[in-house]
Amino acid sequence: MKENPAVEEKKSNPFLRFVKKHKILVIVIIALIAIIVPLVCTVPSKEALVSAIPQEFIELEAKKDSESYQNIGIMSALKMQKQINSADVRQYLVLGVAGQVIDTTGNGFAEFWANFVNWLPSLLNGAKLTILLTISSVAAGLILSVFLALGKMSKIKPIQWFCRGYIFFFRGTPLLMQLYFLWFGLPKLIPAMTIPDRFLAAFIAFTLNSGAYCAENIRAAIQSIDKGQFEAAKALGLSYGQTMWKIIIPQTYRRLIPPTANEFIMVLKDAALTSIIALDDLSRVTNSIMTSTNNVSVYIVSMIIYLVITAVFSKIFGSLEKRFSYE
Amino acid sequence: MSMIKTEKLCKDFGDLKVLKDCSLTVEQGEVVCLIGPSGAGKSTYLRSLNHLETITNGKLWVEDKLLDDRINGVNQIKITPQERQQALLEMGMVFQRFNLFPHLTVLENIMLAPVTVRKRDKAETEELARELLNKVGLIDKADVYPTKLSGGQQQRVAIARALCMQPKMMLFDEPTSALDPELVGEVLQVMKNLAADGMTMIVVTHEMGFAKEVSDRVVFMYQGAILEVNSPDVLFTNPENERTKQFLQSVLNV
Repeated sequence: MKENPAVEEKKSNPFLRFVKKHKILVIVIIALIAIIVPLVCTVPSKEALVSAIPQEFIELEAKKDSESYQNIGIMSALKMQKQINSADVRQYLVLGVAGQVIDTTGNGFAEFWANFVNWLPSLLNGAKLTILLTISSVAAGLILSVFLALGKMSKIKPIQWFCRGYIFFFRGTPLLMQLYFLWFGLPKLIPAMTIPDRFLAAFIAFTLNSGAYCAENIRAAIQSIDKGQFEAAKALGLSYGQTMWKIIIPQTYRRLIPPTANEFIMVLKDAALTSIIALDDLSRVTNSIMTSTNNVSVYIVSMIIYLVITAVFSKIFGSLEKRFSYE
Repeated sequence: MSMIKTEKLCKDFGDLKVLKDCSLTVEQGEVVCLIGPSGAGKSTYLRSLNHLETITNGKLWVEDKLLDDRINGVNQIKITPQERQQALLEMGMVFQRFNLFPHLTVLENIMLAPVTVRKRDKAETEELARELLNKVGLIDKADVYPTKLSGGQQQRVAIARALCMQPKMMLFDEPTSALDPELVGEVLQVMKNLAADGMTMIVVTHEMGFAKEVSDRVVFMYQGAILEVNSPDVLFTNPENERTKQFLQSVLNV
């Protein structure tokens, strides 16, 4: 068989083809390499770490001076030295002290990397909370929104009114206000309904809110399905419920992915609002590092992390879309 | 036993009267074709038979069971939704635009309703589904998604899907109107085979050749009313109604 020259050219360049096909993935990989390589390069030996700990810390431990223990910085330094084998603490030690080591030797770009290395663990912790909150609340919001969407299209008036009212309320008031109300207002109004945990409060507020937004997406997707599908299902004797769950809703998946990806990225950034109930998400961590070190470059680092997260999830949603396409 | 009987069936969309006093009886094993200009109410009549449209006035029997006796949209007889549903399951419907479920494979399309609605055994249904696919000549397409098929193939799948519910009669709503001309034949052939097997069929069609060849009776509809019911020989060669004559002239002389 003769091959098309264009095909041949494509075949001869598998690497370029890969790069063209997975642009975002390549960018993420490059970004990760840019973060990881300096980290690996700046990890000093164990001896260097121990020697880098100020002598006064070690002396303090020997004295067991209870008053000095109240100083959080010193206490954590001691903790680090003691549990040097515990993986979690070692991570802090390695990164933190590594930063210190470079910090004393250089400035300029090296200083930036030193700071970067120092900040990264707490920034990543913040990012973890942000991602966790986003995934859980969008997932729960999606489930909630299916019922809201079906309710809004229901022929039973009270259900329809409730769902209309719900969507009107949660789309019409600021998420910030809903968060305030849930965390600060509700315990004062009804003490029995106090939410015990900050994360739980944020999760509830975000779920209720994104449920309202996704409900409209789902309703639009359902109504975009060809009327003939409903008729065919009815002619075959399927009930309303069977029609919805077996015929209509599965067809909306692919159409739902772009608006859901949108919603996901919105929530990811709205998660910064949780700082008002003192939840340490990425934005709050960033700002507290900024206020304590007076170094604005942390903003850049933080924004890069946001971009990496967004890029990864865009890629995931993109491949989901491909997977659900049957056309 | 008559399969379908309508008496003075009327359908209004607001002030617009789409069907006016349509009375027709279809016996078992009969093939009846509905012809007429567009907007005559042929499709609406067919759709009101299996309750895709709710009739405004008139009576409707399915297998001699009175399902509707409506006056101004209110049903005068008491019938549970289950009873009505049971009677309507005996009617298979084929649409102009096929309306296959695009997210299911051909086999899943065919098996869905018998398994979920009729609660049939899955293995038995699959056997029947494959048999029907064989009958419509698409056995090799069982695991393909509908969008990969041509219009004619999709319509044949749609016929198999309706047949898998093992209905006693089939309604066809312009089954070949959305097809490319060269694909019309394969669908009509399947329908001819079905008629030869003794299936009761009501077909809305613009295929005059098919109506002439296959049907036992032809119904001419005009502006929402049934103007003439006759055997194809009489209707196509020597129509009684002046309107029928005009319609046939305009259609056959194109």
